[in-house]
Amino acid sequence: MSDSTPHGFHSTGADGPAIGQDEWVARHADVRFLPARFAVVERRLRVVSWWAWLTLFVGLFCLFPIVETSGYVRQVAFQTVLYMLLALGLNVVVGWGGLLDLGYVAFYGIGAYAYALLDSPHYGIHLPTIVSVPVIVLIGALAGLVLGLPSWRLTGDYLAIVTLFFLQLFQTVTTNWQNVTGGPFGILNIDAFGLPGGHKLKTEHGGVFAVSYLYVALAIFVVVFVALRLLNNSRTGRAWRSLREDPLAAEAMGMPVNWLKLLAFSCGAAVAALTGTLNAALFGNVFPLNFYFITLITIYTMVILGGSGNQAGVVLGALIISPLLELLRDADKSRVLFFVALFGGLAILGRRNRRIAMVAGATLVFGFVLHAIARAIDGGWVAGQPGAGGFATFVDHWVIAPQQPARWIAPVAYIGVIVAALLCSVLRGIVRDIALVPTIYLGAFVWENVMLSKPDPARYIVLGLILIVLMVLRPNGLLGERRVEIV
Amino acid sequence: MDQFIQLTVDGLTLGSVYALIALGYTLVYGVLKLLNFAHGDVFMVGTFVGFGVLQVLGGPANPKVPIWLVITLVTLAAMAVCAALGVAIERFAYRPLRDAPRIAPLISALGVSFFLANSMQLLFGATPRNYDLFQYHTGTLYLRGLHIGGVTVPLLRIITIVAAFILMVILWFLVNKTRTGKAMRATSFDREAAAMMGIDIDRVIVFTFILGSALAGAAGVMFSLRVPTNVSIGFIAGLKGFIAAVIGGIGSIPGAMAGGLILGFLESYIQGYVHGAHIPDGTQWSDLYVFSVLIALMLFRHQGLFGRPDIRKV
Amino acid sequence: MKKAFVLALAVLVTSVVAASAQGSQTASARSLASFNCSKTITLPFVTPLTGGAGFLGAEQISWAKYAVKTLAPSLGLKVKLVGGDTPVEQGPAPAQTLAQKYIGTPSVLALLGPSTSGAVAASTKAYYAAKLAHISPSATRTTLTKKVGNTFDGSQAFFRDVPGDYIQGPSDANFMINSLHVKKVVVMDFQEPYSLGLAGAVDSTLKAKGVTTIRLSAPNTTTDYSAYVTKVPGDADIVFFPTQKPGDAQTFAQQLIEQGKKAKVFGGDGSNDASQFKQPGSYVSNFAPDITGIAADAKIIAGWKNDNPGKAVGSFGPPSYGAVQIALTAISKACKAGGGSTTRLAVFHTFKKVSIKNWILGGSFKWSTKSNDPLNAKFYIFQIQSNGSYKLVG
Repeated sequence: MSDSTPHGFHSTGADGPAIGQDEWVARHADVRFLPARFAVVERRLRVVSWWAWLTLFVGLFCLFPIVETSGYVRQVAFQTVLYMLLALGLNVVVGWGGLLDLGYVAFYGIGAYAYALLDSPHYGIHLPTIVSVPVIVLIGALAGLVLGLPSWRLTGDYLAIVTLFFLQLFQTVTTNWQNVTGGPFGILNIDAFGLPGGHKLKTEHGGVFAVSYLYVALAIFVVVFVALRLLNNSRTGRAWRSLREDPLAAEAMGMPVNWLKLLAFSCGAAVAALTGTLNAALFGNVFPLNFYFITLITIYTMVILGGSGNQAGVVLGALIISPLLELLRDADKSRVLFFVALFGGLAILGRRNRRIAMVAGATLVFGFVLHAIARAIDGGWVAGQPGAGGFATFVDHWVIAPQQPARWIAPVAYIGVIVAALLCSVLRGIVRDIALVPTIYLGAFVWENVMLSKPDPARYIVLGLILIVLMVLRPNGLLGERRVEIV
Repeated sequence: MDQFIQLTVDGLTLGSVYALIALGYTLVYGVLKLLNFAHGDVFMVGTFVGFGVLQVLGGPANPKVPIWLVITLVTLAAMAVCAALGVAIERFAYRPLRDAPRIAPLISALGVSFFLANSMQLLFGATPRNYDLFQYHTGTLYLRGLHIGGVTVPLLRIITIVAAFILMVILWFLVNKTRTGKAMRATSFDREAAAMMGIDIDRVIVFTFILGSALAGAAGVMFSLRVPTNVSIGFIAGLKGFIAAVIGGIGSIPGAMAGGLILGFLESYIQGYVHGAHIPDGTQWSDLYVFSVLIALMLFRHQGLFGRPDIRKV
Repeated sequence: MKKAFVLALAVLVTSVVAASAQGSQTASARSLASFNCSKTITLPFVTPLTGGAGFLGAEQISWAKYAVKTLAPSLGLKVKLVGGDTPVEQGPAPAQTLAQKYIGTPSVLALLGPSTSGAVAASTKAYYAAKLAHISPSATRTTLTKKVGNTFDGSQAFFRDVPGDYIQGPSDANFMINSLHVKKVVVMDFQEPYSLGLAGAVDSTLKAKGVTTIRLSAPNTTTDYSAYVTKVPGDADIVFFPTQKPGDAQTFAQQLIEQGKKAKVFGGDGSNDASQFKQPGSYVSNFAPDITGIAADAKIIAGWKNDNPGKAVGSFGPPSYGAVQIALTAISKACKAGGGSTTRLAVFHTFKKVSIKNWILGGSFKWSTKSNDPLNAKFYIFQIQSNGSYKLVG
């Protein structure tokens, strides 16, 4: 029956419209990443098959620990791989099945807790990894089936809320059933993955993250990526897409819609549970709060930002968000990031648009002049924020940084820059260009004097802004397929 | 009996605040089909605006004007600021995404939520704020009130419940008896058709955000009249409002009211009544019971209580 | 051509895997790496800085900042304090990432925090393996420094300058029995580690001495306690409610009055904050007497207030000052012993030798010989007066 599905869905569009495909739809679905003059390069790049890209990506990722020896960076890389796995799993449910699953992290938790119970001193059970991991993946898949059942009756946001209730139930049970789950104290001293010879895979050397786990995670990532890819290109995958696009039409075509939904839930849950075992085995502990809203929000952000429905896209989303969260932690690094993004952005825009280039130049001059005037009036106005190194020297000569800012300056400047930036986005023409100069400068002032003094809330503010701006610029995600919604 | 009255009053107080939050969710969902996850943070800003105005008016111990006027002014200020905030959020975070896939504004809403909560912390610090109306005449607002059986229903609770009720009546009037309300209903029924009939969709949406956010501001004040607030309260408030809105049938105004009250009563009665030697205790496991009941409810009425059944067109 | 390309890549991958598997075997022994003491030392403080407990971390950081500013120059050290954010909403997981971050930073010789017991349990083994001593001013779970039954969640690298729940629990319970002559006590917990540990310790001591206890438990997202208050019997004397949100203790106390219950709220060290928990008649315990009454601290408090205008002295701040003092003293001692340079291992071994004469919490500070806890620490109990001040009663 699904043989009758039209093939048009996965045509690349490179060789013009295929038979059975709407030309107009194809043209609109064709997303370009490079400017038109690089069209040849882009077409060549698209010819390279997905598995070559995957090999290249994994190869580069493997190279990473050689370049970088810090246990911190390696662990962040490991966490990024975990997020990539989670994003792949969620992509099955949300991107392919079109089902809004807000209970997804509960499966991640179920996997981790199951591993913690089967391989830890908590009950004294130490199953070999080769047994416990497949068992847990199965448990996860079954749990996914159970949670998928309401999808037979509920649709859209009503389904979302039931899955959300499921996550709440998972939280309540892990927090309160202290005899089994350890409650908020969690379960500690969980076993590392065992190797066939009876050895344990080392999680750390002298307290430093051991890189072998990164490779295990990468290997699992490759397996999951390929397996899901094949599944998506099979009859099931095509059926999922028709389910996502129009459940009613799919049902009318005789597809087992209910089973397809269950299968999507179940696949996603199995991947999440598998990732959960990796998490528990490396960190050696599980706590209820590891599997709650923050994690859920992070994964959703990755999937939607990268491009829901596109495997490479969701992986890209994870690759951006996970390191970004860590980079923003460090005031020094985020400072560099801020100014590079500010001037880099202006430079890129300025190449296409001369007026933006003028604005950038004017802002630079404006800053130096204002700085000089402020210094001439009172040296204390520029004495704050001592930095070091070439880059910081520039900032110190450009941005005014009062030594002892009055208490009203921070809120006034902060709210002022928000209002100014919003105004700039409404204004047009030369007025906007003139308004942009002080606004950008005020932004830099706020960044140096308000945000950097409290890097932790600032980190989430920046994250929030990035999410808003990226969604406004690319509503379909970075690598998302543009959907043509026929009304 | 006394316990029942007490729990009913508790549930009513909790529920009316939930209902106010849920109304904001439901209104926005009605016209935009958007889950406005930043709504809880608008609520949080409302609690802080209220706190600020309360301090300007002399604080709870020595208010410069009569206490009823203090509460009214605080509420109106919070509503005004939140309404402005709501309009700004709609204009800059949602309007550019109006024709995007439905899931995209969800992420931009999350972005707004992160932005608001952490901006408040950046500017005002993470210290919890307490309106502390107990300070007013050493607890008059807590100890005076209606006597029902052996239970005193304190003034503060009466104020909360009555204020919520008044706001809902006003909302009902605005939506059902004014031209703009009519336009709103038309838009929520079918946006394209409404636009073709000459309804200014942008105006309707802005109006909806004003209404929803003002209600969130009022809810923020009603909430923090009795318990302390902090910059991260928005998340849990938004979650409760979302739940209430969906069980009532998202998009439905009476549904949001009913959903809020149901959630409030459910929490209150379960915590108060469920206990025994052989079952998990209702206080410790209140979430377990509440969410199990709600799942059952959703499975039984899968468009929420007042939700319009989904007409599926082929 | 395409196939060749892929094949080359595959070969590359295998070689890379082999090479880096080799590389990871020689993880450098950072614990013995020598550090020149004239360079700037990084002193991280792992604590919640955002989220619902952000105020707690903010208070701790403000005191630590003041301590670094005033103590480092006199000890001849250049110190940069950095905050590591572990929001309570995210559980202990971020503490583990931060542990990797700070273990990998050569200028970190010792560490402050983590502030919460769960985060300590999750990360202390890594710190111990790296021989990086860390001292928490607020993680009070008993099993972090002592073995109870088979449970030991800590490590030898973990120190704390405040006594654990094994002292606070019994001393609170004994005060209720001996001074308040309680018959019936409601013990309430908040479903988070701090609260559960302390509530458990009080509950078991009270039960052992024949006091009737009623246990209540609220999800830690609760904001309104009305329904819980209805479950407090009219003849209960005390509601013991350990929480790290002093405002919630205040809410509970006011709602007890609202419903006409005679019971008084008894809070733990987490609710010791005169600006938020101020319902007259309530009790609160703390690991220090009121430090504003200690003559030697007057200058410190004045200096801190100057840097933090408008802020009140809470209970989390002063031990953070003390923790900085211990850590910096240990580093400076190790530097002296090493002739101008030192290692993490040396600092780790020096930690236990530190003693401080004018301790910010009163008297002098010495380590217990049996565990990494302060010697002879005791708990003090206050009653809130009608003007909102805390009066020492036990």
